[in-house]
Amino acid sequence: QGTGIDMGGLTQDTGLPVEVDAEQLEVNQTDGTAVFTGGVTVTQGEMTLTAERVQVVYASGEQGRIQEMQASGGVTLVTPEEAAESQEAVYEIESGNVTMTGEVLLTQGPNTLSSDRLVIDLTTGTGTMEGGVRTIFQTGDN
Amino acid sequence: EAQTASLVADRVDLRGGDTLVAEGSVEVLYGRTRLSAPRITYDQTADRLRIEGPITLVEGESTIVVADQAQLDTDLQNGILDSARLVLDRQLQLAANQITRVDGRYTLLTKSVASSCRVCAAAPVPTWEIRARRIIHDEQAQQLYFDSASFRLLGIPIFYVPRLRLPDPTLARSTGFLLPTVRSTSALGTGVKVPYFVTVGDHADLTFTPYLSPQTRTLQARWRQETVRGGLSFEGALSDDTLREDETRYYLFGNGSFTVGAGFTLDVGLQQVSDPAYLIDYDYSDRDRLVSFAELSRYRRDEAIFARITGFETLRDSEIPIEDQLPRSYAQFAFERSHDVAGGVLTWGADAAAVRRKSDAPGAGRDSQRVGLSTDWRRQETLPNGMIAALTTGVAGHVYNTRQDPTFDDQTGRLTTSAEATLRWPMRRVTAGGAQQLLEPVVQLAWADVIGDTVPNEDSVLVEFDEGNLFSLSRYPGRDRIETGARANLGVRFTHLAPGGWTLGALVGRTARFDETGQFEDGTGLSGESSDWLVAGQLRLNEMFSLTGRTLFEDDLTVTKAAARMAYSTPRAQAAATYVWLREEPDENRPDPAHEVTLDAAYRLTRRWSSSFETRFNVEAERAAEAGLGLQYRTECITVDLSLSRRFTSSTSVSATTDFGLEVSLAGIGADRTGAAARSACNG
Amino acid sequence: CGFTPVYGPGGAAEGLWGRIEIDAPEDAAGYALVQQLEQRLGRASAAEYQMSAVIGLDQDGLGVTPDQEITRYQLRGQVTYALEHTPSGDTVTEGAVNSFTSYSAPVFTADRGAIAGNTVSVLSAEEDAVDRLMVILADQIVAELLATAPEWRR
Repeated sequence: QGTGIDMGGLTQDTGLPVEVDAEQLEVNQTDGTAVFTGGVTVTQGEMTLTAERVQVVYASGEQGRIQEMQASGGVTLVTPEEAAESQEAVYEIESGNVTMTGEVLLTQGPNTLSSDRLVIDLTTGTGTMEGGVRTIFQTGDN
Repeated sequence: EAQTASLVADRVDLRGGDTLVAEGSVEVLYGRTRLSAPRITYDQTADRLRIEGPITLVEGESTIVVADQAQLDTDLQNGILDSARLVLDRQLQLAANQITRVDGRYTLLTKSVASSCRVCAAAPVPTWEIRARRIIHDEQAQQLYFDSASFRLLGIPIFYVPRLRLPDPTLARSTGFLLPTVRSTSALGTGVKVPYFVTVGDHADLTFTPYLSPQTRTLQARWRQETVRGGLSFEGALSDDTLREDETRYYLFGNGSFTVGAGFTLDVGLQQVSDPAYLIDYDYSDRDRLVSFAELSRYRRDEAIFARITGFETLRDSEIPIEDQLPRSYAQFAFERSHDVAGGVLTWGADAAAVRRKSDAPGAGRDSQRVGLSTDWRRQETLPNGMIAALTTGVAGHVYNTRQDPTFDDQTGRLTTSAEATLRWPMRRVTAGGAQQLLEPVVQLAWADVIGDTVPNEDSVLVEFDEGNLFSLSRYPGRDRIETGARANLGVRFTHLAPGGWTLGALVGRTARFDETGQFEDGTGLSGESSDWLVAGQLRLNEMFSLTGRTLFEDDLTVTKAAARMAYSTPRAQAAATYVWLREEPDENRPDPAHEVTLDAAYRLTRRWSSSFETRFNVEAERAAEAGLGLQYRTECITVDLSLSRRFTSSTSVSATTDFGLEVSLAGIGADRTGAAARSACNG
Repeated sequence: CGFTPVYGPGGAAEGLWGRIEIDAPEDAAGYALVQQLEQRLGRASAAEYQMSAVIGLDQDGLGVTPDQEITRYQLRGQVTYALEHTPSGDTVTEGAVNSFTSYSAPVFTADRGAIAGNTVSVLSAEEDAVDRLMVILADQIVAELLATAPEWRR
C-alpha cells in the first residue's frame, strides 16, 4: 500500500515483512533484544541493509513485532536507485526513519554526496544530509 | 568532455530523486569559477541551479559578480543573475538589474552603470560613471562593449556615445584610445590631445596623438620596438599652425641601441626639426642644439674601442647667422689597451678626430683632422708605513692636417712627454661617539712638456677644475692641449660616517706651479702660479637628504665658481634644488656673472590633494625666468592633474608664454596613470 | 690624534690592497669608474672580494638665457655598489654614492671666432665631465670602504 507520489527510489513500504539472516544470533529474553553478528543482511521489500552487527529491539509485549534495528560496524543501505554507506545506522520501523551516521556516502544516479549524518524518511522518500555536506555532480557539457 | 562541479554545504535536503536543496554557506566550484550563496536548489533533470542571494561569483582573480539571486547551469557558465554587480580587477564595477552569463565568456549587463568610484550612502553619486543601455564583457578578448553609453561626471551627463569599446583593466597592452588631455598655451590657445595606442605584434607599439586647437592641427606619433639585439624608438610630430602660415612644421627624434656581435654595441641617434622655434612652441623639448650620431663601441676591463660620427645643427638664434662656422660634423676614434708589464701597467693606444665646417672662410671655416699614438706606464705600491705611491710616465705623438686656417701650416705635429708621482696616506679612526672617520692627505708632483708646432685646439677649449681632475695629469678635456710645466697638486680628503646614518665628506685642494705658464683663463680657477682654492663637500642622511657643493675661490676669497645640489625626500614631501654661480668670463662669452637657482618641490596636502612647485630664478637679474604650479586630486577612481607654468623671459625670437594643462585619468579605463589608487572606505 | 694608516701595520685595510676585483665595465662611464677604482684599490691579482656597481647618469640644463639657450649643464651621477666575499658568496657590504659635475655650453657669436663654445668643444667637455664624475664617485666608494673596512672584512 505505497502512499503518495513516487518520489524516487527512497520510498519504502514499511509494512512489508523484514527478513534477517546472519551467521550467529544471540537472543536475550529478559530485555527482549536479539543480536545478529557476522555478515548480517536485512531485507524488506526492495531495500536491503547489510552490516557487521545488527541489534534488533522488539516492541515490548507483542512477541515478534520489531520496533528498531541498530546496525554498526560499517553499514550499507541499498535501494533500486540509491546506495548509502555509513559507520552506524538506526532503522525505526514504526516511523520509517533510517538515521545513518559517521562518514555517510550517498550515491544518487551520477551524483555522490558525503556528510556526517543522513536521515531518510522512507515513507515520504525524502532525506536530509547534515554536517559538512560535499557533493560531486556531472555537468552536462554545453 | 563533461567536467565535474563540486558543491559544499552545511545541509543538503534530498527531495526525491532529482532535486537537492543545499543550505548554510553553500559553495559551488567549477574550474576557476567559485560561487557562494546561502541557499542553492539543484534540479538534476534540468541541470540547473536556482540560487538565492546574497551571491558572490568569482572568476579567476580578476572578475567578481555579486547578485541577489540567480539561475545558472551547474557549470556556472550560463544563466541570469538579478540586481548584480560585476567587479573587474577589483577596480571597475559594473552594476545592472540583470546580468546574463553566456558560455562562461560573455557577461551581458542590461541598463548598467560602470564606474571605479566607491559608491556609498554618504556619497551616493560616484565621481564619474558610464551609464549604458547594454554592456557586454568579453572575458577572453578582455574587452568591454558599451551600447548607447553616456559619460557622467559628478552625475552630470558630459557626452553620449552610441558605441564605445574599452579595454578590460586586466589587459596590459591593448590597442585603443587613451584618455584625452587638455592643454592651453599662450602661443597655441586651448587644445585637446587624444592619444590612440596601437600594439604591433608582441614587441612594438605605436601611439598617434592628434592635437587640435584654434591655432594648430598637429599629429604627434611615437614608435617603440624591442628586438633580440636591442631597441629602437622614434618620436615626432607634424604640424600646420598659424604661427608659421603655409609651412609644414615637423620634428623627428629617434634613437636605437643594438649589440652587433664580438661584444660591440651600435648606438644611433637622429634629431631633425623643421625650424628652430618648433620644439619650444610645442614644448616638445628644450634642446637648443640638435645632435645626430652613430657610435660603435666596446669596453672591457683592459681595453676600450670607440668610434663615432656626430652631426650638429644649432637652434640658437645668435648662432644661426654664423652656422657655417660651427662644426657641422665631427668624427672620433679612440683605442686603448693595457697589459701588466714590469710590475706596473703599460697602456698604449691610438686616437683620431676630424672636424668639418661648411664655411670655407679662412680661420672661421677651419677643417682639421688629427691622428695620434700614445703610451704610458704606471706602477703603484703600498709602502710599509701605509702610504700608497704611484708613478706614471707617458709619451704621445700627434699629427694634424689643417685647411682653411692661415694661422696653422697644413701639416703640423707635436710630441708630448709627461710624468707624475703621487703619494697618498689614508688614515682611519673611530671617534668616542662611534663615528668612523677617514683622513687622506695626497701629494702629487706632475710635469709635462710639448715639443713641436702649435696645433689647432678643437676639443680642449672648455676647462673645468674640480675634485674629478685635481689629481689628473692634464685638466684639459681633450687631446688637442696638455697642461704643461711642473706643478704640485695638494689635497686632503676627510670622510665622517656617523652611526646615525649621517655621512659627511669634504675635500680641500690646490695646485701650485713652479713657473707661471699663462695657459689657463682666470674663469677656470687654474690661472696664475697657484690655482684657486678648491673646496668641495657633501652632507648625506641615507636616502632622505643629500647636499653636495663645491667652490673655487682666490686667496682674497673672491669666488670664481660655486655650484650646489640639494635633494630631500620623505613620503609626504620631496624637494630638489640647484645653485650656480659663475664669475664673468669673456672667454666663455659670459659678459656678466651667471647666478641662478632652480627649485622643484612636491607636497602631499591631504590624502587626496597634493601640490607641486618649480621655479628657475635668475639671481643676477633678480627675477624668475620660469615658474610652475601643479595641483593633483587623486582618489581610488580618478586622478586630475592641473598644471600652470610660465616662462617670463622674452627676446627677439622667444616670447613670454603661459602653459595650462589639464590631465584626467580614470582608474580601470584606458592607460591607468593612477598607479596605486588610494582605496577609500565608505566612511572615509 | 688617534688616526692610524689603513694600509699600515695593523691598519683597517692591511693586506686588502689588490684583493678586490671590480666587475668588467660595459660602457664608457663604467670603463672610467673601473680604471679609477683599480688605481685606488689596486689591480686585483688574487681576488678575495668582487665588487659590482650600477651607474645612473642624468643631466640638467641651467644658466638659461632669455633666448632659451642652455649655457651650463650639471651632470648628476649615482653609483650603487655591492661587495661580495668571493669564497663564501656573501654580500658583505653595499652602499650608494652620488655627486655631480658641471660643464659649460657658451653661446658662440661671430666676434668670438671659430673656437670657443662650439659644438665639438661642448661635446668633449661633456665626455670629460663624465670621466671626472666617475673619478669623484669612485673616490667616495673607496673612502666608504676604507672607513668601514673592519665591519665587513672577513
